[in-house]
Amino acid sequence: MSESSNKTASSTQRLVLLGINHNTAPIDVRERLAIPAGRLADATRTLVHQPGIREGLILSTCNRVELLTLQDDAATPDGASPDLPRFLHEYFSLSPASLQPHFYEFHDREAVRHLFRVASSLDSMVVGEPQILGQVKDAYTVAREVGAVSTALESLLQRTFTVAKRIRTETQIGSSSVSIASVAVDLARKIFGTLQGKTVLIVGAGKMSELAARHLIQQGASTILVANRTESRARLMAGQFETPGCHTAVIPFEALYEQADRADIVITSTGSPQKIFTRSHGQQFLHRRRSRPMFFIDIAVPRDVDPSMNQVEGCFVYDIDDLQQVAAANLADRSREAAAAESIVSREVDKYQQRLQSRDAVPAILALQQNAEAIREAELARAAKRLANLTPDQQAAVEALTRSLTAKLLHPQLTALRRNTESNDKD
Amino acid sequence: MSLTWLRVAVLLYGIAALAVLPAALYDRPRWRHLAIPATIAALLFHFVALAEMLNAAHHTLPVDSHETQSLLALLLVATFLTVYARYRTLALGIFVLPIAVLLTLVPAFRPGQETILLAHSGWIFLHIVLLLAAYAALFLSLMASLLYFFQERRLKAKQPAFRSLPPLETTDQIALKTLLFGLPCMTAGLLIGSALAEQTIGPSYFLDPKILLAFAMWLAYVGMIFIRRHSGLRGRRAVYLSSFVFLVILAVWAANQFSSVHRFTTP
Repeated sequence: MSESSNKTASSTQRLVLLGINHNTAPIDVRERLAIPAGRLADATRTLVHQPGIREGLILSTCNRVELLTLQDDAATPDGASPDLPRFLHEYFSLSPASLQPHFYEFHDREAVRHLFRVASSLDSMVVGEPQILGQVKDAYTVAREVGAVSTALESLLQRTFTVAKRIRTETQIGSSSVSIASVAVDLARKIFGTLQGKTVLIVGAGKMSELAARHLIQQGASTILVANRTESRARLMAGQFETPGCHTAVIPFEALYEQADRADIVITSTGSPQKIFTRSHGQQFLHRRRSRPMFFIDIAVPRDVDPSMNQVEGCFVYDIDDLQQVAAANLADRSREAAAAESIVSREVDKYQQRLQSRDAVPAILALQQNAEAIREAELARAAKRLANLTPDQQAAVEALTRSLTAKLLHPQLTALRRNTESNDKD
Repeated sequence: MSLTWLRVAVLLYGIAALAVLPAALYDRPRWRHLAIPATIAALLFHFVALAEMLNAAHHTLPVDSHETQSLLALLLVATFLTVYARYRTLALGIFVLPIAVLLTLVPAFRPGQETILLAHSGWIFLHIVLLLAAYAALFLSLMASLLYFFQERRLKAKQPAFRSLPPLETTDQIALKTLLFGLPCMTAGLLIGSALAEQTIGPSYFLDPKILLAFAMWLAYVGMIFIRRHSGLRGRRAVYLSSFVFLVILAVWAANQFSSVHRFTTP
């Protein structure tokens, strides 16, 4: 999967990115290559000790393992990059045949593009998820600590973080939730704003309701009430949520209707074939709460909450299908935003390239200027005796004249050099 | 010179009114960074225009419908910025900023149509400012109730919520707190106006329909706050109630054109 390359590092170095991810490798392959956080420093150190590798970084997450390296061109005269697959085979003691079909490899410009896309979460399994940027930053921190990153990768990674941040700010790529539990939390925030101090009632037991409750606690919900037909299960569940910032209590199932109005958010997931909450319950609760809103998250199938309760002013009822639909709509939104993010990435890759190109021309430009200056000074020294009779003002004028002439003579060459560097890079 | 500042303010209100749309509807931070500074700058220019106008009139009050409109716009925008500072929501700007443009447009470009020069009286000025502040507060409360209503409908219909609108509880707080802010303003404004009228016109002042309507407006305002606080009225019904009181206020405003004792044009 090698990509066409434009020079990204200096003319004697090239940027190579080799990796596998959720698109190219099944989980049984990815898990064999995953590097635990504790071993990442060692792996990075081993990577940069490979022949021909100047700088390096390893990004290892549950969905990808990628090696980003700056290599000497001399080490890979034929344009191939055999060292990185070998490193992986050797480091993990895996047979090359089992890994080779899953690799992708990007060089220079395409490697930059890929890195920008990864950090911006455009290449993630769930586009827009926020964790990946933190994971790239962690990988960078480890690489810096072991001395595997210096000028070239440092500059590239700093640019990567800026691009990822820009995409977060200028697009809505990460603004909407795409999992059921986080959609429920988002909806609760749309109703209540902050969830600090809010009370959550869990009716019945179930993994999904537990997960949703945990999300709500993370967002600040301070009281968890649990009601279950089997009180011992309710106590067990309540115990799981007991933390210093979170108060829990068990409500006897028989007292459910008397106490349910204490809750701002009700999560139901019982196995009851009958509806637990009807429209008239909703009206009673709202009356007792003086119209303060209540949010019912009905995860049960068959449903626990009569859908007509949603018509009661102040009651918001979402069942599992509603939550899934919101999640799907949010996912579609993210895809639309991803298109905008891709165009930002393209522009940023171009800008990064231009910066590097102008940097590539700098040594030659400096050499030319130094050479011209040396000639100018030598010629002035030769003429020093003949110019000795000049006044200081006249000598300064001659000095200025020679400088100006040198600059004007050099100008076309320097411009041509810059253009040449740019066109070479484009080729 | 005050007209120049007012025209600059109108231009800036216009820019802010346009910028607030993408900022509030599509949650675009760049536009927010334009909308808020433009609004603040417009408010400053507007204030300077008003101060210069008062200074040029040697501290008498050239009060006509245009000047009053302009002052109302200033108070509306100031209240909007206060709400923004407290709740970080731009959504109200969608309504407030275009209205500020409309209210200041005529005073800025066709000024001085119906001016009466009133005598030196800080009390008159206070009466006007307080009542206009109450109008501005009620208008913002009505807009907040509308935003609540739109967002509530959206959430109940299981459609994606408007991202840029604040949470329902926040909108409800804005609606209620602006009302609570407006009540003392309206009460004090009416009391000051009544005391001045008693001195200058006498008891006949209180038989004028416009004045009676103004007291009915106060009763409606108090009634609305009572109902909202004690029944927790929200959503559709809150919009109806606020709209009713707003209509009463519009009637009171319109009555300035017909009243024999309280009007902008020279009797």
